[in-house]
Amino acid sequence: MKYDETEIKVRFNEVDSWGIVWHGHYIAWFEVGRMALLKKFHLLPQDFTQMGYIAPVVDLKCFFKEPARMEEEILIRTSVLKPTKAALTFRFQILRKKDGKLLASGEETQVLLTLDGRMLYIIPQDLRERLQPLFNYLEEPDSAA
Amino acid sequence: MADDLVGELKKLIIETLKLEEITPEDIEDDGHLFGDGLGLDSIDALELVVALEKGYGVVIPDSEVGERVFRSVITLAQFVREKSTTK
Repeated sequence: MKYDETEIKVRFNEVDSWGIVWHGHYIAWFEVGRMALLKKFHLLPQDFTQMGYIAPVVDLKCFFKEPARMEEEILIRTSVLKPTKAALTFRFQILRKKDGKLLASGEETQVLLTLDGRMLYIIPQDLRERLQPLFNYLEEPDSAA
Repeated sequence: MADDLVGELKKLIIETLKLEEITPEDIEDDGHLFGDGLGLDSIDALELVVALEKGYGVVIPDSEVGERVFRSVITLAQFVREKSTTK
């Protein structure tokens, strides 16, 4: 899988009373990865809004393999599938940097709405053109940030 | 001919959305496809849009058109008949 990579460190407030990262925080980590990738291509939420769109999440999956613990360095790998319909699907992997162990994986799908709430069934040409550099980047052989 | 298209569209819906428990006979011609009818959702609409463009050359650009077209299999068939660029 071609991906973009971001690094974080587990914070005290992310750990639950069992000493492991609370499951909900992994979703926030997905967002860290997604925003880091999209920022490179000026496709942050405010960029979408400027074009006249919003992209709400409609589907979210997370599979938990191994727990993360406080102070561990974590790698967030983010990729996006080339769309076959008017939706953007991001895939994520969360790994422990020390040993490369896969801790969690997941997927998130966003649909496209106009600012007045109309759902788009076709990706508009202007958005296609803005997304193409992102897909080109992820097709490069050496795609790590 | 009209019944053939309705039947075809029911099969297309079932195959595209992988509705394994549903047969064409289970889908009422004028029953709602979304919400309290067949229970399809907005992601299903996106899949159907792609399949309809591939199969019949019709373009459904957004939910405003979709709301009217996807009301039932009959309204969908009417739309396909009006707009189809294939045979």
